[in-house]
Amino acid sequence: MFIGKAPELSRRAFLRRTGQLAAAGTATSYAMGLAGLGELAAFSPGNDYKALVCVFLYGGNDHYNMLVPYDPANYQRYAEIRTSIARGRSTLGATALATPDDQTLTDDLQYALAPEMPGLKALYDEGAMAPVLNVGPLIVPLTKAQYNANSASNPRPAKLFSHNDQQSTWQSFAPEGSVVGWGGRLGDLALSSNSNAIFTNISASGNAVFLAGQNSLAYQVSSKGAIAINGLGGKLYGSSVAGSALETLLTQPSNHVLARDHATIAKRSIDAQGFVNGALGGVNLATSFTPPTGISGRLAGQLNTVARLIAARNQLEVRRQVYFVGIGGFDLHDALTTRHGPLLAEIDFAMTAFYRATQEMGIADKVTAFTASDFGRTLTSNGDGSDHGWGAHHFVVGGAVNGGRYYGTAPSVSVRSDDQVGNGRLLPTTSVDELTATLGLWFGASPSDLPLIAPNIGNFARPNLGFLSL
Amino acid sequence: MTKAIQAGRARIDAPCETTDSPAFPASYEAPPELRVRGIPDGKGRSIVAGASALALAACGGGGSGSGSGGSAGGTPTPAVNIRKPQSAGEAARFTLSVGIGTSPTRIAAVQSEGFAPWLDAQMKEPIAQTGLAWLQTRGYSTVDANKYYNMAGLMDRMIWNQLMTGADQVRKRAALALSEIMVVSINGITGSWRAQAMAQYWDILNARAFGNFRDLLEDITLNPAMGYFLNTKGNRKEDPRTGRVPDENYAREVMQLFTIGLYELNIDGTWKTDGSGHPIETYTNADIEGLAKVFTGYDLDFTNAGRFPNPDDPTKVVYGIEPVVEPMTADHTRFLRPPRETYHSPAEKSFLGTTIPAGTSAQETLRIALDTLFNHPNVGPFIGRQLIQRLVTSNPSNAYVARVAAAFNNNGSGVRGDLRAVFKAVWLDDEALASGNQTSVTFGKLREPILRLAQWGRTFGATSASGNWLVGDTSDVASELGQSPLRSPSVFNFFRPGYVPANSNAANASLVAPEFQIVNETTTPAYVNFMSDVINRGWGSARDVKAQYSAEIAMADDPPALVDHLDAVLTGSRLSPGNRGTILAAIQDVPIGTRNPDSDRMRRVVVGVLLTMVAPEYLVQV
Repeated sequence: MFIGKAPELSRRAFLRRTGQLAAAGTATSYAMGLAGLGELAAFSPGNDYKALVCVFLYGGNDHYNMLVPYDPANYQRYAEIRTSIARGRSTLGATALATPDDQTLTDDLQYALAPEMPGLKALYDEGAMAPVLNVGPLIVPLTKAQYNANSASNPRPAKLFSHNDQQSTWQSFAPEGSVVGWGGRLGDLALSSNSNAIFTNISASGNAVFLAGQNSLAYQVSSKGAIAINGLGGKLYGSSVAGSALETLLTQPSNHVLARDHATIAKRSIDAQGFVNGALGGVNLATSFTPPTGISGRLAGQLNTVARLIAARNQLEVRRQVYFVGIGGFDLHDALTTRHGPLLAEIDFAMTAFYRATQEMGIADKVTAFTASDFGRTLTSNGDGSDHGWGAHHFVVGGAVNGGRYYGTAPSVSVRSDDQVGNGRLLPTTSVDELTATLGLWFGASPSDLPLIAPNIGNFARPNLGFLSL
Repeated sequence: MTKAIQAGRARIDAPCETTDSPAFPASYEAPPELRVRGIPDGKGRSIVAGASALALAACGGGGSGSGSGGSAGGTPTPAVNIRKPQSAGEAARFTLSVGIGTSPTRIAAVQSEGFAPWLDAQMKEPIAQTGLAWLQTRGYSTVDANKYYNMAGLMDRMIWNQLMTGADQVRKRAALALSEIMVVSINGITGSWRAQAMAQYWDILNARAFGNFRDLLEDITLNPAMGYFLNTKGNRKEDPRTGRVPDENYAREVMQLFTIGLYELNIDGTWKTDGSGHPIETYTNADIEGLAKVFTGYDLDFTNAGRFPNPDDPTKVVYGIEPVVEPMTADHTRFLRPPRETYHSPAEKSFLGTTIPAGTSAQETLRIALDTLFNHPNVGPFIGRQLIQRLVTSNPSNAYVARVAAAFNNNGSGVRGDLRAVFKAVWLDDEALASGNQTSVTFGKLREPILRLAQWGRTFGATSASGNWLVGDTSDVASELGQSPLRSPSVFNFFRPGYVPANSNAANASLVAPEFQIVNETTTPAYVNFMSDVINRGWGSARDVKAQYSAEIAMADDPPALVDHLDAVLTGSRLSPGNRGTILAAIQDVPIGTRNPDSDRMRRVVVGVLLTMVAPEYLVQV
């Protein structure tokens, strides 16, 4: 054991959670509808390992060119509206996705993945990948008329179309300044399952509100593992007195709030580093995370670290983990046709390698990865790019995914239909709350816990979208 | 011509007006590049120096917070109360808030001259050398076999030279603050001469830092680096036939980030609310679509572009730097490949309650649009609060924000947007200078990593052996600073003004702490490792940039004097007795032997410098 779980922490988490549930109230349409789901027995000792991995695409991914209308009629609509930024239909054949026989999408849509995504196409075919269509932040289900009316009874999410605020809203259901994310909420629920509470929520991609809980922290790790401080605890510039002074100065508590916070982080970094690198040192994964020439290794490097941490889960003494990785570059107002493809190739390689690594470890059905992004983009072209939108298509990947089929409702390929609010900015038909609730139920949250992690779920009919085997 | 300052008038109501003409807000020496290129100031005036020494001297008293309780309308007489620091530490902390590094000389000067007179003189300091001039001096703007036009990394050499050298460090601190609000990142721009394009952007921030915000807004809007970064360059009018619409990027971010923000603000920076207590959005997506049309039709101006044979293929042409350092143009005949007609939208443009009639020229359209943004009541509190956060404290009081916003709205002579008055209001506010800040547990801000490195360079006399400042990007989170000037990952800077670190004492105290957005278990050790290497062995290729430590080496035989000196110039004499003792003991642990005494002295210095630069009283600027 490294950092013992704190019974007091768990007790406080429980009390706070109970209070929040009381505050959230139970007389919602959702709470009634959940009666049949029953309480899941997760988060109790003896359960198997599970990990949830958020892959965040900073800048607002152009979902229209990632999951492309492929049947001739809809492709033609797409190409006529997108003009010079449309993908060529002839490039899409190898990555066309077969719609299952029992599914019919809006306007008989058939989709193809971008040609840079052969790995995810294979996972779709294997049943380990599913697209979730037109998902985005909503407080209540909205029609276009309700959106336009913008009334207090049918409110829009705050600060739509704004990068930083919609990143925060996807991660925490509130705009910038929010301090608790839904990954962190899940971590709060999982704290008692993990002997080393500090390794419950781990980011390999910088600070993100997604992983911040009421009690659970986001621990940061780099693609190089945990970073040791040179000279600390040994000799700094040849002096052991200086080496120990370094640790004293960095970690002592201060009265000043900001200095104290800095010292807390420094101490946590120092305390965890040796243990983490020790655990990672014993990991041997055969799956390659080195991308072919021409594909960036940023995301693969992060997911490699995540895979290695998962491989070390027994040494880390954790049973439930929430991870965050992410890359930027998606805000393609310009140069969409040249710059988007390489980003999609990066996602494809990294997420496919990550899934293969979980297969290698024999825990593919214990790990679920999903994409998220600021927002979708316009269907219209601004000449060589697209602009900020709202709803978007996303992917879930993992052995527990009921893949090879679609979830949610396909939007019309149109700039006039009622499922868009202008220029093809999609009005979401599936809420982030529903996505979150589904992932949370799989992770082990009980139905009665869902309002804690998905605060608007009571306003939606579907707390479980069905894309995961619970 | 000199406007006298009315004695006893509250400072923010009458910020120091130092110029020859009330209508001419800022006095500064225009850099040669700007004058030569004839960049207008946006109001049809030329850029010239203006301040008189008399006005500056008279102005000093206006900055005094103590004893300024009178009301407006008194007899114009020179103010007499010049507020001075109560201690050397207070003086040092002031110099570090308004500048990048400090020295015993600067500390003594503030003590003897007083806050405002010293600051006035510092703000008057002309631009020592522009970034563009430096690149040219080093030969980096020449077309030759080195192919500098493809080397974005030259920007890092330029900016670190700028931050670490030159007498104009107060202006540079202001420009650095602006560069984190009106963000352009080289990571988001393409084309030739990226370093030069960024240098020109940096130079605009410096040239306009103490000028008028309206001019700054126009200059950055037409700057080619901005044009690449937020896609105004090459932005084309709508095409009803194909359904193509104008690019919305600049229209959105110039409102959200550079001028007015998302919600209507009171003058103290708090949200206005509607009848139901909800905040009021400043704009809708329809406003974005309207404003987006304003920024159509622009591209690089190739009129003056030099033409050079491509070093790889003399039959091809490489253009000189002119198109990326001169303002973009909406005159399509000046483009590299002139289209048959303008790309500027002729349509009517409506946004923020302003309607520009169809058929208005691009130039007049831009004037109306930028005037509309500039005159929005949000600009003062929105920009003012962020400047306070970048320079003084993460959590200013509402009243402090209101005083700075008032200075933005009116510099005391009826001029709106006078940034000289705004910066002075930020730096000389009673809240910024209060002696109680020393013991406050919430006042101040985390020093951002790039400022720590720049401060190291200035404090200890860093020089480049080659003269070329062979340093690079410092963004790597695991081995460098996790931050690099002019290399933000997006237009949202490395950290946001509203960032609240999760699970923190700051969050519990309802405080924001922007710089903590890049503090975590990876970047914290990386900073220590990076600095411990740079402090000891120098920085960059072949350790090109090294500190001299001459004053410090001279003190190495007297460890208490050395630690007090480092405390003074790095923290503003804030080290607690305990931490001072810890550092002193570590310095004393390094013996000065007989075989290599100079090397031992140097080791004492680097031990002292690193340990001070990881101490909590250093990491938090108060």
